[in-house]
Amino acid sequence: MYDTVIIGGGPGGIAAGVYAARKKLKSALITDNFGGQSLVSADIQNWIGTKSVSGLEFAQMLEEHLRAQEGIDIIYPDLVEKVEKISEGFNVITKKGEKLETKTILATTGSRRKKLGIPGEKEFDGKGVAYCSTCDAPIFKNKIVAVVGGGNAGLEAVLDLLSYAAKVYLLEFSDQLKGDPLTQEKIKSDPRVQIIFKAKASEIIGDKFVTSLKYEDLETKQLKEIKLDGIFVEIGSVPNVEFVKDLVSINQFGEIAIDHKTQAASQKGIWAAGDATDILYKQNNISAGDAIKAILNIYDYLNKK
Amino acid sequence: MEQQNKIVKIYTTPTCVYCKMAKEFFKKNNVQYEEFNVAEDEKARDAMVEKSHQMGVPVIDIDGEIFVGFDQQALKKALEIK
Repeated sequence: MYDTVIIGGGPGGIAAGVYAARKKLKSALITDNFGGQSLVSADIQNWIGTKSVSGLEFAQMLEEHLRAQEGIDIIYPDLVEKVEKISEGFNVITKKGEKLETKTILATTGSRRKKLGIPGEKEFDGKGVAYCSTCDAPIFKNKIVAVVGGGNAGLEAVLDLLSYAAKVYLLEFSDQLKGDPLTQEKIKSDPRVQIIFKAKASEIIGDKFVTSLKYEDLETKQLKEIKLDGIFVEIGSVPNVEFVKDLVSINQFGEIAIDHKTQAASQKGIWAAGDATDILYKQNNISAGDAIKAILNIYDYLNKK
Repeated sequence: MEQQNKIVKIYTTPTCVYCKMAKEFFKKNNVQYEEFNVAEDEKARDAMVEKSHQMGVPVIDIDGEIFVGFDQQALKKALEIK
């Protein structure tokens, strides 16, 4: 039986793994990737101690640091499907069918990109519907595209696309953009950008590939249609908590509610840290620090038992 | 793989992380590959879309078998890497 099983391979999970190993806890870490959401970042400039690092290098740094530890089982690539309560702790069951018995669990599962959840989105995923502008923007050279979401990620996507696309629509649900004012200025000054406020994307239409996007004008309640070739979805993220949702309390935003002093979740024996929790600020450095807090508290808990 | 008898092509964009991961995976496993940068090469872009019926990178072509994205397990299987 493990002392602790850490779920997730972002900065939180790795920090936890390093501390768990140094505390000589019998531990395992389960993840399907290293680096978390920053993996696809072109340049990270705020990871403390590192002036500039690409997402890929960041992921490699984390993986190396974890693999340098002794006494932690790394289960990769795999995903946790389910956690069951047993009398002495928990059963952690993975997608590939591994079953781990453990006294405690630390969930550092982060969050994933939110989808629109409208007709056509799934059908045309990869066929015009895209979620990674840094990856796929060049494929839309001379095409007409839309970005849904006027936050920072949406504005960045518009910028990525402006290097290639013929025209970029930006659809925002509210009546103003929320992203960085500097980026806003850049976007607004480009004649190829058309910003549509109070727009609620409602349906994606296509044949083999996307051909148009329908949206509701929330002002007039009219349904409108834009002819286009691509849609980039940038509407925020949703915490990865499905595997523990029946065991711990989850807040209205789908985040695991934790005690902010110890990182403990409502179920005894489960801790959580990082973007999957109800913290105010979602940051790599904070995830790492909070996950360390959790391991130190798990260590105290196991020693008091 | 001692002698590579499969033809491997990868369609990439310069900013795509999973493309870089796939190429590193090939290098690590001594897989020879030909790279097509679809940000520059329009013909390759059309070929990629045609082959994969989709518009995301990376697309990997191993002897005509098409892989979208970087799935290490699937590539290992296709290239007979243990």
